[in-house]
Amino acid sequence: MLKVTSLSKAYGKKKVLDHISFSVGPGEIIGLVGENGAGKSTLLNILATLQKPTSGSIHLQEKSYQKEKPSIRKSIGYVPQDIAIWEEFTVEENMIFFEKLAWKKRGIEALRQLCLDMALDKWKEPVKMLSGGMKRKLNLAISLIHDPTLLLLDEPTVGIDLKSRKEIGVYLRKLASSEEKMILYTSHDMDEIIHLCDRIICIGDDPFYKEILIDSGKEILTF
Amino acid sequence: MMAILYTRLIHWKKQIISLLFWLLLPILATLAIVYGTSLIQQDSKIPVGIVTGDDSEIANALYESIRATQLIRVIDVTEAEARRLVESHELDSAFVIGEGYGQDVENGRRNRLITSYLSNLSFAYAPVSQMIISLVQQDTGHSKAAHTVINLSNHTTEQWTWDEIVAKTIEIQQEEDLLRTTFTFANTVGMENENTVSLWNTWGLWALFSILSTLLLFDWGVKEKRAEILPRFAFIRYTYQHYLLLNVCLYTLLFFIFDLIAVVVFHTFLSESISLSLIGAILAFRMLINMGAFIFTCLFQNVYLYYSTAFLLALITAVISGAIIPIDGVTNRFPWVALFNPVQPFLEMEFISPWHIVCFVIIAIWYVKGGKSNA
Ligand SMILES: Nc1ncnc2c1ncn2[C@@H]1O[C@H](COP(=O)(O)OP(=O)(O)O)[C@@H](O)[C@H]1O
Ligand SMILES: [Mg+2]
Repeated sequence: MLKVTSLSKAYGKKKVLDHISFSVGPGEIIGLVGENGAGKSTLLNILATLQKPTSGSIHLQEKSYQKEKPSIRKSIGYVPQDIAIWEEFTVEENMIFFEKLAWKKRGIEALRQLCLDMALDKWKEPVKMLSGGMKRKLNLAISLIHDPTLLLLDEPTVGIDLKSRKEIGVYLRKLASSEEKMILYTSHDMDEIIHLCDRIICIGDDPFYKEILIDSGKEILTF
Repeated sequence: MMAILYTRLIHWKKQIISLLFWLLLPILATLAIVYGTSLIQQDSKIPVGIVTGDDSEIANALYESIRATQLIRVIDVTEAEARRLVESHELDSAFVIGEGYGQDVENGRRNRLITSYLSNLSFAYAPVSQMIISLVQQDTGHSKAAHTVINLSNHTTEQWTWDEIVAKTIEIQQEEDLLRTTFTFANTVGMENENTVSLWNTWGLWALFSILSTLLLFDWGVKEKRAEILPRFAFIRYTYQHYLLLNVCLYTLLFFIFDLIAVVVFHTFLSESISLSLIGAILAFRMLINMGAFIFTCLFQNVYLYYSTAFLLALITAVISGAIIPIDGVTNRFPWVALFNPVQPFLEMEFISPWHIVCFVIIAIWYVKGGKSNA
């Protein structure tokens, strides 16, 4: 269970996040929407322990972010908005590289299966030869190596073909339902958000997103 | 550590060619330069013709002394050949040890013992003739001393004690000091020559190339802190600082293996000696330049700027080490320059220099500070 209480973040005088509170339970997928610059990435970074909030508190499985950062990190799978992989390595080398450094040992077959589960089958291909969709999948796969319980994905499907997008969606759904993962992710694709998410968080002043989503029948939180 | 080694091996596999190139560069470049300069030096010895018209012991000894001089290459010629070859500039100059040289020296004659031929292009005539004259003067000096001693014992009624003879001989030798100065002058010509050889000192050269190759191979420190990949290193079981330091250790190990190869290669091909203190000094030097290179990478974001600064730094080190401009002038005028030279303590076989301490302290501060901001 992830519990966010009255979280605020300001860069200098500029308030980006203002008293945000919500919680995420096991097996839930939460969508995060808002215009560019609304603070989606900032929120994910804070939840990923990479940035500190100005005020408010966060707890993951009853552990406080302030006090137990190193142990909390082991439960977090963070997928950066920019593709964070070694371009000159193959898929296999990327997976092995990060597995060697990970908290959990997986073994080569498990790593390969992880990729196959999201239809990433170009195991020996150098990353720079891969399509955008494949790169996004690998970007996601690496974040899952240590089997985290909280997944934070920053625009994991941006700029890729529809098929890859669907495959990633199906895979996330499976992670939530069969492995009880908590998933928070951002996207600008409203169909994807409505289709995939159990609840939706809207941040920013612009009412545009809320109006689109209001008919979806999903629970919407606005901040 | 094994995990880090594994991840580093993946990186190394991708750049195996350039990795080997830069690792071998200090060895190969040093070999090439040391061999190259010794070939050129063989070629650049001054060709001097010697005509031997006398077969006495003294004349032969003089001939051998001239031959043994580093500076010149002796060519045996007849007097006619000597004239022709000097005229056609195939010989820088020629010297004739005339008939009766031995006799003349024994008789104490001191004029026109040697005849010389030179042309308007005899650039080396002055030092070579100085050198030969000094050799001749040595002979005449000995002879004069001998004569004096013989005269003393023949023409005095008093009986000279051994001590008195020795004292007199020393006195005469001191009178001949002028000659010895000339001789020393000729000798310094030879020594300067030797100095240029030792400037291209094997380990000094190796150290300079090692600095360059180390800086260039440490480009990983700049390349791998690409902003996109960095968040990944928050989710590994090492702190980022720890991860980097372990990699520095791995690089140090890799470099040191090639340093040991250099020891063996230089021993085999350049007859450099092997000793534990040499290996200790190399290890200390290796740790120093790797720490230095690592600190250096921390200052850069742009890899091209890093490369150009690395070349510049290697060049500066080469200059203050005297590899390009003779250093004596620079260090005499600005003695502090030598203090800044990281190669200096290595060549003096010192294990710990102030540089080690400075680098170590910087890295320790960086590690502790980084660890805090990470936790
Ligand atoms: N390091 C920073 N310093 C100052 N302002 C920042 C920083 N990072 C983000 N911002 C600002 O915070 C706002 C939210 O950014 P971000 O979280 O990236 O938005 P989103 O991901 O929703 O597009 C933007 O206006 C951005 O300019
Ligand atoms: Mg963003």
